[in-house]
Amino acid sequence: MSGCPGSRTIDFSEKANQEGSESGKRPSQLRQWPIQMHLVSPMAPYFQGRDILLAADCTAFALGDFHKDYLKGKSIAIACPKLDSDQEVYVEKIKSLIDDAKINTLSVIIMQVPCCFGLAQIAKEGAEKASRKIPVKQIVVGLEGNILSEEWI
Amino acid sequence: MHKVINQEIKQIINACPEVGRILEEYNIGCVPCSVGSCLLKDVVGIHNLDPQREATLMYRLEKAIYPDRNVPKPVVDMTKKSAPKEITYSPPVKKLVDEHVLIKRLLALIPSVVEYTETSVKVDKNLILKCVDFIRTYADKYHHMKEEDILFKYVDDKAEIIQIMFKDHDTGRGHVRQAVEGAEKGNKSQIKEHLLAYRDLLTQHIKKEDEILYPWIDRQLSVTQVGEMFRKCSEADASVGDELPKKYERFIIELEEKFLEEVTK
Repeated sequence: MSGCPGSRTIDFSEKANQEGSESGKRPSQLRQWPIQMHLVSPMAPYFQGRDILLAADCTAFALGDFHKDYLKGKSIAIACPKLDSDQEVYVEKIKSLIDDAKINTLSVIIMQVPCCFGLAQIAKEGAEKASRKIPVKQIVVGLEGNILSEEWI
Repeated sequence: MHKVINQEIKQIINACPEVGRILEEYNIGCVPCSVGSCLLKDVVGIHNLDPQREATLMYRLEKAIYPDRNVPKPVVDMTKKSAPKEITYSPPVKKLVDEHVLIKRLLALIPSVVEYTETSVKVDKNLILKCVDFIRTYADKYHHMKEEDILFKYVDDKAEIIQIMFKDHDTGRGHVRQAVEGAEKGNKSQIKEHLLAYRDLLTQHIKKEDEILYPWIDRQLSVTQVGEMFRKCSEADASVGDELPKKYERFIIELEEKFLEEVTK
């Protein structure tokens, strides 16, 4: 068990086969397009005055109830702090979301792997550069889809 | 037990004083409360005990109220003590907690102010009025108004615990009026009585807010409400300007320096 925790091979397929409650189909809570951080514009109407979820790409796959518990009622932007390029653009976009789109809150949801904390750092930098101040929340998701922490930062 | 948990706590404690003693063990201070009309279920719920502690508490209460009843023991590890939970606050609530720190610094100075007043030949009216100005402007107008006009609106402001907070604010204002009257008349005992009473009242009041009320409100706030409350509190702060909190922080520092000098003379 060595190497980068972000790309280390781990198999928890037995646990993943455990069944939860499957009563009916869950509708998608996504209410916008596009969603990738490079593609979204802070000027888009679906960001104005809203609560924003900035999600690391992997979180939606790790969390079984991502839509119901975290996406519902929010607008979203997704990014990968390990693989995406030109991430300084992300800082400026977050600043613009806060100052220009006047978003209400920013929730950053990341995986527990160390490289993912880069996304929280980007959010913090953007929030610090903005002239408006808003509450920023950090949610950390475990590799097996459990919530490890949820706190205002 | 279902019937009892919907009864007022004072009524239960009067009928069974052991309940009050057990609650004290869990740092639930209902015994000295002057009102006591919170329902038992709300008293337990608002303290957000972990499931093990809550189950154990309810078991012990039921045994105390119905000693002859065969109450099943809760299925929890009765010997395992849980670590105390660290309280975290949302940003707007954290700001209110931070404002308490400056108010607590004044409360800590009140015994020195009272002693100074008692030992002075003549009442230092200016000193008392400056303390009153801090209380009325910083504690009451700047801080309590955000609680009353913004924070408490996010819960049922008719709830017993909120009504107690309003009552504390009013009682505090009464003590301040009396302290001012004492300063105007040069009545040292009146100043002493009401400044010390204000100190006792606010010390308990702030403790209740920091440890019980604010976390309870925070648990009920959605992310959207946190953002909205943050904006409203920021607007309220902007309406009085940046200078006001700085001015009162300077006053507290000066007062601390003054009484440090008095002590070291």
